[in-house]
Amino acid sequence: MNYSDQQLVADYIAGDEKSLEILIKRYLKPIYSFICRYVGNEQEAEDITQEVFVKVWRSLKKFDQSKSFKTWIFSIAKNTSIDWLRKKKTIPFSSFENEEGKNLLTEKLADPAPLPNKILERAGIAEILNIAINQLNPKYRMVLFLRYNDYFNFREIAEVLSEPLNTIKSRHRRALILLKKLLFIKP
Amino acid sequence: MHPFIVLVSRDMRKDYEKLFANLNPKEPPLGLFDRIILAIKQEQELRHTRRLLFGFLSLLLISLITTSLSGATLVNQIESSGITYFISTAVSDLGTFFALWQDFGLAILESLPIMGMTIFLLSLAISVFTLRLFLHRKRLLLGYLIQSFT
Repeated sequence: MNYSDQQLVADYIAGDEKSLEILIKRYLKPIYSFICRYVGNEQEAEDITQEVFVKVWRSLKKFDQSKSFKTWIFSIAKNTSIDWLRKKKTIPFSSFENEEGKNLLTEKLADPAPLPNKILERAGIAEILNIAINQLNPKYRMVLFLRYNDYFNFREIAEVLSEPLNTIKSRHRRALILLKKLLFIKP
Repeated sequence: MHPFIVLVSRDMRKDYEKLFANLNPKEPPLGLFDRIILAIKQEQELRHTRRLLFGFLSLLLISLITTSLSGATLVNQIESSGITYFISTAVSDLGTFFALWQDFGLAILESLPIMGMTIFLLSLAISVFTLRLFLHRKRLLLGYLIQSFT
């Protein structure tokens, strides 16, 4: 039976250990993938993923069940990744953004529009997309991943990344512009 | 919002979803799930050990304090009771003691500080019991203590 996250959390708190295993299985792939994208290293992502789930277990009893478990676990993943990168002092700070968080390059570009078919039909698109995405600032990358890979809405992304809703919307817009530009540059 | 904008943004989202579908989420390595479960189990054990150690130390501390306090009280009670007088009389004149052993026995029993002795023996038993429990789990608890201080 496919239980909701809320149900599984409630069951675990009531003493059902199996519920936690189901939750871990459910979120292992998205969380690992998210962390991989965030830190850009699979070996480190493995360790961070483990730490994330241990943290989830530690604070599950304090989790506010009226809130979204998905948003909560992704917030933990994001914060743990940042802490990890800080410890290593390799946090990839933006090279494009100014102090107000605005990107001088993308501010001047046109609004994003649907992608031309020629991009979607291009051979080896996965590889090209990977290269293009890795060139993006991690902040932009995360918004795109959360939006299109993990199907978060803007409000949820804002909650996960602890940023105002409007910042996320404009970051999303800028990320699309930059991505499209990078995809066009690639032959 | 204007219907045209809604239409464009819906198409846009579909396009990008299609585009990102090319980028399959990374597969977690085999064994990661087991590692997570193991890490949680270890954390659980650590938490259990911490609670156990805290319980042991509190109980040991309380029982040791109670033992020393009740011991001091017992000594005072023995000194103020006539028991030492009865015993010294019994030892110095064994003949009389054996002749009147029932009276002597009753007198000694009456002068015993029962309450003080009970409290002392009880707290002593708790101290010994706690120490024995500690020694029984010494590897686990000492391992935890060493780990905490290193």
